[in-house]
Amino acid sequence: MIRLGALFWLLLVVSAGFVTFKVKYAVQDIEDELNRVRKQTIAEQQEIRVLNAEWTYLNQPERLAELNRRFLQLAPIGTKQLQQKAEDIPLRPLPPPIAPPDVLVAATTDPPPAAQSAAAASAGDESLPAAPAASSGAPALAALAISPASASELPVAAATLKPGSAKPGAPVRLAKATAGLQPRSLDELFSQVAETR
Amino acid sequence: MQSMQRLDENPCRPRHFKPPPPCAPVVSDERAAQLLETCRTRLLATAALFAVVFIVVALRLAEIVLLSGGSAESHAGRIRPIAAPLPVRADILDRTGSLLATTLDSPSLYADPRQILDAGEATRALSTVLPQLDAAEIQAKLTSGKSFVWLKRHLTPKQVYDVNRLGIPGLQFEHEERRVYPFSDLAAHVVGYCGIDNNGLAGIERALDERTKSSRQPIELALDARVQFILHEELSRVITDFSAKGAAGIIMDVRTGEIIAMVSLPDFDPNHPGAMNPAEAKERIFNKITLGDYEMGSAFKIFNTAMALDGGTATMTKTYDAVHDIRIGRFTISDYHGKHRMLSVPEIFMYSSNLGSARMAMEAGAERQRAFLARLGLLRPVPIEFDEVSKPHFPSLWREVNVITIAYGHGIAVTPLHVATAVSAIVNGGILRPPSILKLPPGTAPSGERVLTEKTSEQMRKLMRLVVEYGTAKLAAAPGYVVGGKTGTAEKNSGGHYQEKKLVSDFVAVFPMQDPRYLVLTLVDEPHGTKESHGYATAGWTVVPATSRVIQRIAPLLGVQPVDEASPAITKALAVESLQGKRIESY
Repeated sequence: MIRLGALFWLLLVVSAGFVTFKVKYAVQDIEDELNRVRKQTIAEQQEIRVLNAEWTYLNQPERLAELNRRFLQLAPIGTKQLQQKAEDIPLRPLPPPIAPPDVLVAATTDPPPAAQSAAAASAGDESLPAAPAASSGAPALAALAISPASASELPVAAATLKPGSAKPGAPVRLAKATAGLQPRSLDELFSQVAETR
Repeated sequence: MQSMQRLDENPCRPRHFKPPPPCAPVVSDERAAQLLETCRTRLLATAALFAVVFIVVALRLAEIVLLSGGSAESHAGRIRPIAAPLPVRADILDRTGSLLATTLDSPSLYADPRQILDAGEATRALSTVLPQLDAAEIQAKLTSGKSFVWLKRHLTPKQVYDVNRLGIPGLQFEHEERRVYPFSDLAAHVVGYCGIDNNGLAGIERALDERTKSSRQPIELALDARVQFILHEELSRVITDFSAKGAAGIIMDVRTGEIIAMVSLPDFDPNHPGAMNPAEAKERIFNKITLGDYEMGSAFKIFNTAMALDGGTATMTKTYDAVHDIRIGRFTISDYHGKHRMLSVPEIFMYSSNLGSARMAMEAGAERQRAFLARLGLLRPVPIEFDEVSKPHFPSLWREVNVITIAYGHGIAVTPLHVATAVSAIVNGGILRPPSILKLPPGTAPSGERVLTEKTSEQMRKLMRLVVEYGTAKLAAAPGYVVGGKTGTAEKNSGGHYQEKKLVSDFVAVFPMQDPRYLVLTLVDEPHGTKESHGYATAGWTVVPATSRVIQRIAPLLGVQPVDEASPAITKALAVESLQGKRIESY
């Protein structure tokens, strides 16, 4: 009985010692790791400082002006190029009509507003511009090309509206449905586009 | 046997001790009992001691594990064996966040020549990556047999990389820090520079020396590096075009007093302040904007006219004699481009008539003139963060001749910063605000002091617009930005004599005049006329066209919307009633 007890205590002592040993070394390893990471952080911070300085150095206005003179020849902005109102910006000419028939079909379904947003989600890009486009008429929509995001969807959308295209009835129906939304300015058009989304 | 029995009961005995058969003389019972008693007592005491210690340990354990609620862990987390080394000085940024000054690790290269295996080879390799080193000198150093020689101080990170890549044993780097100004001379006078011991010696580095050292929070200046560059470039062009001695310019936000750009030429590279030719160093480090006292010439008519209008001694329709010269003592005052007729206040201002201005000032009197200039802060140093500010020079005794000359900007010398600050107050509706080189939180302005009425301010805006429309500053027009301003050309005074050939030409411009946002003051020191300027070196031909170019380039950067200058709203806002319907003669 006594021997069994002694064995138990001995085992406990040995295992406790072993666990302590393991934990100690594990902690030491973690501490080493921590120090290494901290050192690395500091080194990287220093590097960032240097890179920042270098970036600024490379962005010296004098140098940029020289690079511009050699490669870009950009001129300072003239007063003509600064417009106060979006309406002052002349509109782009319409692109020629290239109408994929399936888009036209999607545009002519004329869903109610609630269904429209659902359709927008399901049908993807192409059904989106159709609704505001119908309400605004093609030329205003063409001006949307200024915004790069809508640039990709634009030709298709504009094409769907072109009167005298494959299905002339469709745009008329759409225009009727949203007749009250005729935007008076480009700003209004933008907000309408945002709403239909 | 009895004693043995007792021995057996002794708790001190080893557990499996079998007492040997009694063959040795047994100690007497009494002694044995005494011994055992002592033994037991000691044992008890020891056990008690151990028990106490263990209880303490157990309690402490329980406290740490159960009761402390994790504070021990957070305590352990707080101990940071390595703290990030902080730079010696805080960074300085411009208003857009570009670095104007930063502190970088800049290691210095040294060698232990005893460890160098092949000095010749090492020298050759070093001169490929550090071509500016003298090969013979390096060779001599590397063969000297010393244990430490400096090879080069303050290497760039790329040079360190290159040297490391050579893999020459015996080369070492010493960690050092160095102030770096990535834009070199662009904002030299504003940022200033540091000495070898990283102490600020000029500009913001000196003014906020303590602040850069105590806090690592970067200092944000009101300066805009892009605007600064444009002003710098155009002023350099003026110097080249008119072979001038120097030039200076300042761009200020008239609503807040923030200094958007401040250039003084010639300038210096703050990265290498010691590299300057000692003869030129003083001239180059001198900040003309805050330290240079200049007689601003006709630009002072802004103050003179504002004084007369604000004090009520003159009105926009009142006329003054510009026919007869004024003789006072040994002086004769006459007009540069005389109209030789009675001139109204707008005409006096537009044609820059000395006679008219002098008569306006004489009418107002010395007391009023002095008080008005003092109110505009022109008779005391400008309150600004810089250490380098100079006191204005003005007559201690304000006699009539002083009144007359001060009316058109002679006999009083102030810094361009004075003029910029005061003119800002005149055009911004009449509130004088201290200029600030530090960025203010957007949308705020320091509390100012009302120095003139809003009505006078509005009248002054109209008058300044006239000067650009019809007067001496027609070349300042920047279509769309409704520039207004006033030129000034003064002969330099040296030893009490005015030198006809040595001019200081200056121009204070404000735009857009219907709702002033920015002030551009430019000044050129000793310009010489050219064929293009028809031999003139006056402001109208030198700094005025430069200002026009500056405004056209900076306005889009500063977000000033161009307007149609001919639109009814603008013309109505800036119309001078007394000149309505009259044909305005050109200057």
